[in-house]
Amino acid sequence: MATKPKKQSKSERAQALMREQQRRERRRNLLVVGAVVVAILIVAGVMVAISSNKDTTGQAVGTGGTPQNLTGQYNVVIGKSSAPDTIKVYEDFQCPICAYFEKTAGDQLRAAIADGRVQVDFRMVAFLDRASTTNYSSRALNAAMAVLSTAGPDAFLQFHTIAYQNQPAEGSAGVPDSTLIDWAVQAGADKDQVTPLINDNVYHQWVVNATDQMSKDHVTGTPTIFINGENQGSNPQVATQAVLDLLKK
Amino acid sequence: MKAWIGLLARLLVGGVMLLAGISKFPDPAANVRQVRAFDILPEAVVPTVGHALPTVEIVVGAALVLGLLTRLFAVISGLFFIAFIIGISAAWARGLEINCGCFGSHGVPANPQRQYAIDIARDIGLLIGSAWLVVWPRTRLALDNLLFPHHERLADGDETEEAVEV
Repeated sequence: MATKPKKQSKSERAQALMREQQRRERRRNLLVVGAVVVAILIVAGVMVAISSNKDTTGQAVGTGGTPQNLTGQYNVVIGKSSAPDTIKVYEDFQCPICAYFEKTAGDQLRAAIADGRVQVDFRMVAFLDRASTTNYSSRALNAAMAVLSTAGPDAFLQFHTIAYQNQPAEGSAGVPDSTLIDWAVQAGADKDQVTPLINDNVYHQWVVNATDQMSKDHVTGTPTIFINGENQGSNPQVATQAVLDLLKK
Repeated sequence: MKAWIGLLARLLVGGVMLLAGISKFPDPAANVRQVRAFDILPEAVVPTVGHALPTVEIVVGAALVLGLLTRLFAVISGLFFIAFIIGISAAWARGLEINCGCFGSHGVPANPQRQYAIDIARDIGLLIGSAWLVVWPRTRLALDNLLFPHHERLADGDETEEAVEV
């Protein structure tokens, strides 16, 4: 026979009640957890979508957005092809150690290029936009490409020197477009030609893609200096000295 | 006492993750490059991981700071630190250069070996914090205490503690 509820002891009934209470509690808690997890997943999904939308890396660059007078897709090689040695450098215009390299070895490097002793393969990138309040890094590279496109590799090299000599401090507002235009003209470019290219930042997508290419080349910092294909390592003083030693020969 | 230590662990682990995520979020391309620099994941998933990384850090960090589903997010944060420790160790062992040394104008980058050691030590410390929260997820000043109030009463008493504890 089934036991009648009345025959249950007080404590048994209390226990049954407690169990029922706990079951309800657990169901409620699972619902709360589920709701919280769903809400978090929605927020996270939106944030990831924002992130990947913002990253234009790899987007196609039209002819107007691709600099002229490049040697390859993302580099410009300066110097006689008969030169016995090749130096390859990855540089960012905002990078202070690149300015150190330019200050320490720039004169010797340009002399060696002129004498036909060395070819320099410039791979300019811009990943230090966050080091200025005006994205100086990528704007400076855009300006350098405007000079290369309209006035050729020698003018680019001039601009490269001027930009490093006048490098704005990290964390500053960089320099305005009007100053970049002044430097471009000083380097030998025509003012009317470079002004729209610099003001409209026309090579911006190319700059983004060039920077991504550096990463795909397994280069993670600047300056990275290769002498005849050999990476000179992460200590800039050692790498700079290696370049000076090569040029002294 | 444990509940107060738990609060401290939550703020520390969650705070570090939250700040790391917020500082990464504005530059998705840089995060993709950073993930690629470790040279561990296949290129096909590198962009996705790079884009998701700061969001996951922000969400997990914020949840821990607020004390929301503490145990669940402590587990996720712990897995994160284990992944970071493996990634940094692998990079160190292979002599990869992950930190570019471009920031700061000292002329010479910080010693990368030392940086790896510091990063690993930091992640081990945070991993301990995560582990604490996985074992003792009930903490002071947590949203969990509002969302699951009855459970806390049970836990305080002598009742079995098998109710959903997340």
